[in-house]
Amino acid sequence: MGREHRVLNFQGSFYGLGGGRLFLAWIGIVLLYLPVRGAQSPGFETDVLPIFQQHCLQCHSDQARQGGLSLETLESVLAGGDSGAVVVAHNPLESRLLVLINSGGMPMGGPPLEAAAIDLVRRWIEAGMPGKTADTPVPAAAPPVREREVMAAVLGAKCLPCHGRRRQEAGLDLRTREGLLKGGKSGPAIVPGRPEESLLVKRIRAQEMPPPQLQEQFSVRGLTSDEFDKVQAWIAAGAPPDPEKPPEAGPGRDSTAASMDRQFWSFQPPRRPVEPGVRGKDRIRNPVDAFLLARLGTEGLGFSPPADRLALMRRAYLDLAGLPPSPEEIRSYLADSDPRAYERLVDRLLESPHYGERWARYWLDAVGYADSEGGVSSDEIRPHAFRYRDYVIRSLNADKPYDRFLIEQIAGDELFDYKAVESYSPDQLDLLVATGFLRMGPDSTYSTEQNNLPERLDVVATQIEILSSSTMGLTLACARCHDHKFDPLSQRDYYQLSAILRTAYDPYDWLSPSMGCIGVGANCNETNTRLLPLPSDGELREVEEYNAPFKRKIAELERQLEEKARPLRKQLLEEKMAVLPESLRQDLKEASQATPEERTPVQEYLLGKFAETLEVTRAEILQKFTDFAEASKEIEQQIKDEKKKLKDKPRIRALFDMGGRPTPTRILGRGEYTNPGDQVLPGVPAVLNGELMPYRVEKPEWSTETTGRRLALAKWLTQPDHPLTARVMVNRIWQHHFGVGLVSTPGNFGSTGARPSHPGLLDWLAREFVDGGWSLKSLHRLIMTSTAYRQTSSAGGLSLERDPDNRLVSRFPLRRLDADALRDSILKVSGRLDPTRYGPADELEIKPDGEVIAKESPDGYRRSIYVRQRRSQPLSLLESFDAPLLVPNCLKRPHSTVSSQALQLENSELVRLSARHMAGRVIDAVGEDPSRQIERVYLLALTRPPTAEESAKAQEVLRQLTREWKRHLEVEVPAEPVASQAEWLALASLCHTFLNSAEFLYVN
Amino acid sequence: MKSKQRQAVPGSCPAPIDRRTFFSQVGDGLQGAALATLLGADLLGPDALLAASSRQVYDLQRQQPHFEPRATSVIQLFMNGGPSQVDLLDPKPALEKFAGQPPSRDLASEIRAVREAGGLMPSPFKFSKRGESGIEVSEVMPHLAEQVDDITVIRSMFTPHIAHESSLFVMHSGRMFPGRPSLGAWVVYGLGTENRNLPAYVVLDDPKGLPINDIQNWQAGFLPAVYQGTRVRSEGSPLLNLHPREEWPNPVVKLSRSLLRHLDRNHLSRHPDEAELEARIAGYELAARMQLAASDALDVSGESEATKEMYGLNDELTASYGKRCLMARRLVERGVRLVQIYIEGQIWDNHSALVKNLGYACGKTDRPAAALLKDLKLRGLLDRTLVVWGGEFGRLPIAQQPASGEVGRDHGPSGFSVWLAGGGVKGGTVYGATDDIGYKAADKPVSVHDLHATILHLLGMNHRQLIFEREGRSERLTDEFPARIVQDIIA
Repeated sequence: MGREHRVLNFQGSFYGLGGGRLFLAWIGIVLLYLPVRGAQSPGFETDVLPIFQQHCLQCHSDQARQGGLSLETLESVLAGGDSGAVVVAHNPLESRLLVLINSGGMPMGGPPLEAAAIDLVRRWIEAGMPGKTADTPVPAAAPPVREREVMAAVLGAKCLPCHGRRRQEAGLDLRTREGLLKGGKSGPAIVPGRPEESLLVKRIRAQEMPPPQLQEQFSVRGLTSDEFDKVQAWIAAGAPPDPEKPPEAGPGRDSTAASMDRQFWSFQPPRRPVEPGVRGKDRIRNPVDAFLLARLGTEGLGFSPPADRLALMRRAYLDLAGLPPSPEEIRSYLADSDPRAYERLVDRLLESPHYGERWARYWLDAVGYADSEGGVSSDEIRPHAFRYRDYVIRSLNADKPYDRFLIEQIAGDELFDYKAVESYSPDQLDLLVATGFLRMGPDSTYSTEQNNLPERLDVVATQIEILSSSTMGLTLACARCHDHKFDPLSQRDYYQLSAILRTAYDPYDWLSPSMGCIGVGANCNETNTRLLPLPSDGELREVEEYNAPFKRKIAELERQLEEKARPLRKQLLEEKMAVLPESLRQDLKEASQATPEERTPVQEYLLGKFAETLEVTRAEILQKFTDFAEASKEIEQQIKDEKKKLKDKPRIRALFDMGGRPTPTRILGRGEYTNPGDQVLPGVPAVLNGELMPYRVEKPEWSTETTGRRLALAKWLTQPDHPLTARVMVNRIWQHHFGVGLVSTPGNFGSTGARPSHPGLLDWLAREFVDGGWSLKSLHRLIMTSTAYRQTSSAGGLSLERDPDNRLVSRFPLRRLDADALRDSILKVSGRLDPTRYGPADELEIKPDGEVIAKESPDGYRRSIYVRQRRSQPLSLLESFDAPLLVPNCLKRPHSTVSSQALQLENSELVRLSARHMAGRVIDAVGEDPSRQIERVYLLALTRPPTAEESAKAQEVLRQLTREWKRHLEVEVPAEPVASQAEWLALASLCHTFLNSAEFLYVN
Repeated sequence: MKSKQRQAVPGSCPAPIDRRTFFSQVGDGLQGAALATLLGADLLGPDALLAASSRQVYDLQRQQPHFEPRATSVIQLFMNGGPSQVDLLDPKPALEKFAGQPPSRDLASEIRAVREAGGLMPSPFKFSKRGESGIEVSEVMPHLAEQVDDITVIRSMFTPHIAHESSLFVMHSGRMFPGRPSLGAWVVYGLGTENRNLPAYVVLDDPKGLPINDIQNWQAGFLPAVYQGTRVRSEGSPLLNLHPREEWPNPVVKLSRSLLRHLDRNHLSRHPDEAELEARIAGYELAARMQLAASDALDVSGESEATKEMYGLNDELTASYGKRCLMARRLVERGVRLVQIYIEGQIWDNHSALVKNLGYACGKTDRPAAALLKDLKLRGLLDRTLVVWGGEFGRLPIAQQPASGEVGRDHGPSGFSVWLAGGGVKGGTVYGATDDIGYKAADKPVSVHDLHATILHLLGMNHRQLIFEREGRSERLTDEFPARIVQDIIA
């Protein structure tokens, strides 16, 4: 059993990655059914090379060598690539090259090979890969097992929780070959050349290692027969070390290709272009306008007329604060006759604390912020993530320079000697909280069932994807399994970046993301979680005070349970003692009944010696007395429920250097840990290295063990000449103001991404941004005070005709409010917006019909950014208005118009109740006069007074509504005054209609 | 290679259409400014269209498949928890012979609850050959046994992970982690729907609770939200916010709607070229139509007594699942593209008390599922409706002995069974096999990607050509994984 189906063994291969052995299996089956044609076996040069030339050499020539593979000569084919051998003589099933072309996985991006060509390659492999003709076959030999295949792929995956960096059970360290030879208490673990005498082999054979009772707890499995064979074969061959070159620093073999690739526009540093001279100078308020007008001019276009004053006010409010202005703010703005009233409005909004709340949302989208871990059904809450959210809001409000903002988030823990500090200053605390940036992706590893190497590698990959897309606009995640298809990003680049994170995220020495870990044997504590203590007395006291009543309740329940258990405990104790000699029994009884103060030294000794017998655990009682187990179920459930209410101690969800020597980082063939390739050093994508200061690690000189790898990355990334950092951020800011970025693919500045619509403007803005000290607020001011931003959105024919999708910015785009701004605006105009800022996320409530809403506070609801963002329970309103699933992050929200949105706005309780509140506030503010009520509704919802015609129409409808409501209320003999009730409900129905209207939902 | 990628310009668009006609056809699900392009073509001529050809429309308009489809609708009976293949559809007499023996090294390396693992355990249930095809079915599925000549059993499925979450993600989206679009989302992205007044992709979840991974099972991932599964409740209001919690008097609703139309038309007149605004107005009209259509489609009260009896609606044990199966028939009858039925908690997750718990799961589902097949066949719907039955994995042939309670079986991802029926699938067929003890797919293994590719194929789509472009990447359901069409099960 087992053995005969070895080909199907897919241990270690996961769909998260690339298939591996798994797909060898079924391809094998497919191949068995291919007819064998032709007796003459094909040769390489005569038959196979022409096929390769036609389909493969574009990427796999001696020159290009994608994935380290060249198919140009027989020798290079046999040498294989970064993932190892691609052909195995006489064995098409094991030949990766054939598997890939057969499945259509190769040629990447090109048309698949025809069946005849595939068949020819297969026959060539079956024949043993002959060269020119069939009569020079290459001898077939099983490739020897390499050290890395045993150390990294087998022992590394199964043994290190107990024989690794943190623990060396029995003195044994299995991280290196030297450790194996040195062995532990029982002697060397292996005897080279003699697998049968090797302790390691003996213990594995007996299935003692990894110990079955610990496997679940440490998320490891026993060895498969394949893996065991590998270990034995390697030892049998003398356990040879890998003849490994020391890893190259820097770009390695990509360097030649890179110099050409660096010519691509986005890999060149931005240079400040000359501001174009254009006609129509009266419409140029700043250089932004000059660049745009120059391009518009070539199409015979100019800017559209300026927007109406209040339309612009509403636009600025929703853009910067995410909320519409109040009627009072509207009035005072209209009364402001200063010619710079608008500029001052922009300044006021930038100074408003709402600015940070609005723009933090975009940053949180970009970093994939969530208040839960995801991946596992319990979707554990992240009770400490809010500190990072608050950090972002505060940083934006303080206009923290963007370079500093990035440095803190990537390497805040490496900026000061945090372990040597007794208590943190607020700034120091911020530095640690900031590192939550790289802790935001989904992380399932808090479940022992999903804490295997592949899941850990997924976590790292997610962080690399977030980091590279949000800061550099690179789709580097593609390079995890293979060199990037279209961009000059190699697997080496990916793994060099993962080596930078290695000292914090080491898949071979993993920390749980959460205290709430689950699964058999799960045991999270301060030493094995990726959390830092928050040494703040105030908060700690608050939590303790909050917890006190629940703790009392738990203690009481425990007492009840113990009361029930006591007689049984006694009974069981007697049973257990019955096996001891009579004399001893009496002494033990006396000893155990004495209080600790009364005990004599002899009694103490006895109690220690027989501790196990004397201690009767709850588990023992439960097992023995099923009645008790049944009876105590309810109390135990109560205890569990109460425990759930306890708040965790205040902590920081941080990323920090774990100190010590991390395990070496290897290129993983196909992204699988079962295919370890060459070692790499920490480094950055080679193609970006052209004119920049190279990535250089300097170990900080202080007591906290930290390598400085991330700090070096942060410094490299924030160089003024970095080709991507400033461009990518400037582009996203532009996108959030105008709906579309100058580069319309904000997460892809590579060759498959869009080209900038205005390259000069993008570079000018990037330079201006950097030279002006990376100030985001200055950037907003620059953009928002331009003529371009102040255009009307109802443009005339020429703009629509020649610039239909508004890529030339010949008008301001009409834009729907995004999900958060919509919800917040509804709450604000109805007076239900609780202005409380910061702090733990608001909890959710799930209605019986499945609608997810936030729990209401006495003051209403807080802004959406403060509502718990749980991956498995998105707020219904936000979800239907395109709030993104953050898997892992989102740089540009999708935008759809679907009927479920209409259902939400028309029928949801939130909007209906808000309308009633809104009506109530209107009546409170202006009394019973319908015309003043209508005016107020228009100001609140639409930021403008109604025209006379609109007012008349609305008043007419309001009269009719009042009549209908009155009629409705009078159906039964009313107990309360009807007239005022009907007027209120009528106004509520009217407000509801306005909250549903396009003009409310869209920004002009 | 012609890819099924949504183009802004439908090649088949015969003649310019006026706006009202256009919107009455489009109805739901417009993506952003995309529509302006389409209208632009009518108003401004083809040049404007070309200039903006990178834009795309995402809606539920019926789309042409790549080739003649065998099935036009799918009903997926999702058996969450992992039904035990060796107790249901994959008899293993060898387990009798080896009863109690310890598992092999390879099997042992896949055990989840290692400390509870026992020896090989034969099935407590009897199998017998049923139907003309003589497929062996367990005694706990007596109703399915009656329909066995209409189904193909695939006995050689496998998935890569032992945890429910990961395997559920794989089963739904092909990958172990959340965030990828589900099969259903891909299907309605590719084909749209036949009935614009109902959601295209309906999820009938169990009123007793959501499955593991809850709503993430039917998410659209990076596909536009319009392709996401719509949860339809079988009790209470079927769609979220289909009706308000408290209805307003009718005249008030009428007045409000007419005022809204007035306001929106006025607004539109100031932005005459914003197609999205018209789409939004159409969305409100569709929402109103949906209120009627959905209520009608989901109302089973008018079904005949015989039908209700057949689905088990009169029996407390089967009533809930039976009702959802019957609703599924009514939905596909009305042109809904894909219906998924989920079941309470994890009733197939029989770690303990196998006999009792598996008996319960079968008792609850066997009769309704078989009735659905019978009913579809009776009404001539089975030919174009593909029915897929199965869970996220199977179970191990060894015993799991929990600390308390009776013996059960642990998760077994390496080999398990699913069945398919209708929609171009052969009847009375068994495909593939596990090894002697039913632990691992041995003969003709079928990966989840193979299954997905085969389902798309039956629906007339080539899995390599159903592509969604995002940020420069061509995304597919089967991704870069090799996937084959399981031709042998296609009639």
